[in-house]
Amino acid sequence: MNEPIIKLDGLRLSLQSRAGTVEILRGIDLQIAHGQSVAVLGPSGSGKTSLLMVIAGLERSTGGAVTVEGADLTALDEDGLALLRGEKIGIVFQSFHLVPSMTALENVALPLEFQGRGEAFEAARELLGEVGLEHRLHHFPAELSGGEQQRVAIARALSTRPRLILADEPTGNLDGETGRQIIELLFSLHRRSKATLVLVTHDEALSRRCQRTVRMGDGHILSDDLVSAA
Amino acid sequence: MTTSDTETIQPSSAGAPMRMPLAIRLARRQMRSGFEGFVVFIACVALGVMVIAAIGALANALVIGLERQGRQIIGGDVSISRMHARATPDERAALEGVGLISETATMRVMARTADSKEQILAELKSVDDAYPLVGEMKLKGDTKLDKALANGAVVEPILLERLGLNVGDEFQLGSAPIRISGVIAKEPDGLLDRLTYGPRILFSTVLLEQTGLLKPGALIRWRYAVALQGDGKDDAEDLGSARAELKKELSAGGFTIVDRSDPSPQVRRTLERLRQFLTLIGLTALIVGGVGIANAVTNYIDRRRRTIATMKSLGANNRTIFSVFMVQILAITLIGIAVGLAGGLIIPSILKALYGDLLPIPPVISISVGSLIAASIYGLLVALLFSLWPLGRAELITPAVLFRDQVGQASGLPRWPIMAATAVTGLVLLLLAIFSSDTPWVAAYFAAGLSLILLLFYGLGHLVTWVTRRIPRPATPELAIALGSIAAPGGLARTVVLSLGAGLSMLVAVALADASFVEELSGKLPEHAPDYFVLDIPRGEMDRLKSVIAGEVSGATLQQAPMLRGRLIELAGRKVEELKPPAEAEWVLRGDRGITYADEVPQGSRVVKGNWWGENYSGPPLVSFEADLARMLGLGIGDQITVNVLGRNISATISNLRELDWDSLSINFVMIFSPNTLAGAPSNMLATINLPENLEIAKEAAAMRALSKAFPTVTAIRVRDAVDAFNKVFSKIMTAVRVAGSVTLLAGALVLAGALATAQRRRILDAVIFKALGATRRRILAAHVLEYLLLAAVTAGFAILLGGFAAWIALTQVIDIPFVLSWPAVFQALGISIALVVILGGLGTLQVLRSRSVPYLRSE
Repeated sequence: MNEPIIKLDGLRLSLQSRAGTVEILRGIDLQIAHGQSVAVLGPSGSGKTSLLMVIAGLERSTGGAVTVEGADLTALDEDGLALLRGEKIGIVFQSFHLVPSMTALENVALPLEFQGRGEAFEAARELLGEVGLEHRLHHFPAELSGGEQQRVAIARALSTRPRLILADEPTGNLDGETGRQIIELLFSLHRRSKATLVLVTHDEALSRRCQRTVRMGDGHILSDDLVSAA
Repeated sequence: MTTSDTETIQPSSAGAPMRMPLAIRLARRQMRSGFEGFVVFIACVALGVMVIAAIGALANALVIGLERQGRQIIGGDVSISRMHARATPDERAALEGVGLISETATMRVMARTADSKEQILAELKSVDDAYPLVGEMKLKGDTKLDKALANGAVVEPILLERLGLNVGDEFQLGSAPIRISGVIAKEPDGLLDRLTYGPRILFSTVLLEQTGLLKPGALIRWRYAVALQGDGKDDAEDLGSARAELKKELSAGGFTIVDRSDPSPQVRRTLERLRQFLTLIGLTALIVGGVGIANAVTNYIDRRRRTIATMKSLGANNRTIFSVFMVQILAITLIGIAVGLAGGLIIPSILKALYGDLLPIPPVISISVGSLIAASIYGLLVALLFSLWPLGRAELITPAVLFRDQVGQASGLPRWPIMAATAVTGLVLLLLAIFSSDTPWVAAYFAAGLSLILLLFYGLGHLVTWVTRRIPRPATPELAIALGSIAAPGGLARTVVLSLGAGLSMLVAVALADASFVEELSGKLPEHAPDYFVLDIPRGEMDRLKSVIAGEVSGATLQQAPMLRGRLIELAGRKVEELKPPAEAEWVLRGDRGITYADEVPQGSRVVKGNWWGENYSGPPLVSFEADLARMLGLGIGDQITVNVLGRNISATISNLRELDWDSLSINFVMIFSPNTLAGAPSNMLATINLPENLEIAKEAAAMRALSKAFPTVTAIRVRDAVDAFNKVFSKIMTAVRVAGSVTLLAGALVLAGALATAQRRRILDAVIFKALGATRRRILAAHVLEYLLLAAVTAGFAILLGGFAAWIALTQVIDIPFVLSWPAVFQALGISIALVVILGGLGTLQVLRSRSVPYLRSE
């Protein structure tokens, strides 16, 4: 069997709060294969977004091992994690998190610029075309609708052709129809890119579109079901 | 919500006054979360108020110190003085009728070693046996003054050093050898009659009579200290009546009178001018801090948008909203004022403890209610001026914010009453600054200049943002991020340029003006400027003096004029004491002025109005007056002026007005009389010597030694030394101005710190996104550093241009000296700008780099 793209062994995450230590993740064991689409499902506070943040290297685990694309995240410093993300991970946030002072084109080109790629703007223009925003290249985020902003965010997440796409409630801030369009786009791009997709959601219907569903509750994995091999 | 709240929040009927108790109650609830976001507001108010209060308190302490030391400073309760003429027996009798008297005489002299090889310009003071009536003359080694004076002269240590002499040695003064019998440690009444031309020599008047310096027309000031007897010395009423009696008895004598309650009107006036000027600088700091106040209020209102919308949805009207927030602003302003006043009260005591010994007058620290009130009013007015507008915009927030956050952005203009209130506040502030100054036009120019500079920097801040938005995106991502951040809606460009620009411009202007003055004063003297002024040349000795100089230096040229000292008594029928001249002309009326007489218009002067009297004129007494001063004093052709010369009042009619070039350093007189007017007055000659260019120093020194040997009673003042002495005093003043100006920069730094704190959340979020997209910390740091450097350089660039322009205008158009571009001044501005922005911004960047990503990525 090939080495999994994500390998979590006894992953723990606890944070300090005024009330004392809060256990967010309580020993997660999980392996995700290359190219798989996985939905992480669970109610608010179950730890699903924290899990995604640890996999992205945006949050440091307090116990256990985290390996992504063969790299031990616990051994990397902050800059090492940033470089790993830049090369191999694309992230889509619920609140889009576009840089407000940059145009759509500049936002999408930015990860490529960080990698020093000369074709950053050509690639960004192409990607924005793929998400249907070729007419909005020079618009600032504030001049775009929520759906358009999330399309830009998806294009940005895919701009470096990452091996792993992490999406945190990508339709959480969008209305139903726009959300459906975004999901169609995300899955279509995932299929084309053959990247691994980890999608955090509390939407059962959406989770069914993924090959695998991991259910979480109170910092534990409650179930891990392979839905389809598609 | 309580019942009463429900009742009172109902929209009030039109025109009904807002009930303040409700506003206060609601404001208190709003402020439960503390003063978050108002630290910079409080600091900005406190800094400006502190500077104004401290300056007022310090000036007050010095004035009180001056008054308390009054008796000692003038050597008695009343002091009268006059040039040239000693008191007549009648005048002396009048003085003795009031109290004990002590007579002193002061003049500039040349002290020489016995072999005439070394000489020094000194200040001579001769005293009688009664000196000092008040205080004690302290000599080194506990020598008693009377014993020392019986054996010769006491001198300041610098004279021994300069002439290479010791106690017991002799030096030459006039035609007499003088033995040094002691060294002065402290002179009780030194402040009053020090001319600061050289070290003090003090001996008895008996000895003065032997030196040959006591000649008719010699530039000697005779001073009489009077100590009231009995209870009079403690009683203000007796002092007043003694002064009035002396004034009456001696009215025709041309004396200048001061008393212990105002021992040195000149020092008091100088202190008052300094206080007014430094208050303007403090006000500048307060106004620059106003930018921070406006930012703080805007951000506070922005953070309370949902609260305002909620209150409106519950029925609060605009006036309620405005009142609630106004109460909070007033409360915070009062805190800032209180902190500032506390600082203003403490600082003078700290300065006294640190530098009190260096001051000529011991400051008496006391609470100056006037300056505390003035500082508080300025603080309140500036806080209102910068708060009213953003508070007015709070009313524009609609309840729709509760449903769609973006629609509630307060934009547009506040209601007209609020705009009018802002304008009135600004006007009151302006009028207060102008009319509390002795020189309203200086304050008016200052206010106009400051307003213009702030408006310019406000515009330039917007220009920087506008231009940055239009710059094509650079290929380097760090630079692109830096430019993006500058151009962002909450970018730092406007605040950095506005907050630091004014302070930096002031520093640049001061530094460039200082550099130009130093260059002017220490560089080449004006063309044709004399090298020496020679005083007290006996009238019949001019030809011999010319031949002595010609014998030593070929090519030296001399100019000469008879000179007396006289005091203006009346101008156009009005007594001088009753006049209120503009500040620039006051000096002419105070104390003695040099006067002369001439047959012809002197070289360097030009008659601009009226006619010059002809040669051998023998008609009624005429006088020629300097044109600018005549205009300021309201004098014209045909007006009569009265001058007291040698104790005699002489009146003359103005026959013409002259323009003259003060900068030439040539012989210049405000008043030139027709020769017949002063025919009977004994006068000495004043001469200037122009030495050939590039004359060797040894030859110049030899010529002066020869002059001194041939004319032991004349005094030669080297112009270069006098200019250098002025230069030293000037550089101290410029240092003080620079220190005061840096307070404005500190206010700018506070504003910048506030703006950075406000922008911090946006900057952290940007950095977190960059990190999520693969940016390393070094890359983010580089972007921040580039942003700071660009902003600092642009701000410094503008400040150098504007400050340089202001200095150029002041130097070339007002003061009329050449402008010198000083690169150190330019680099200093650039350095300070970069240091402030990078240090303050850098502190924020450290936090940005250390911030955890998740709270920012999850929270929105």
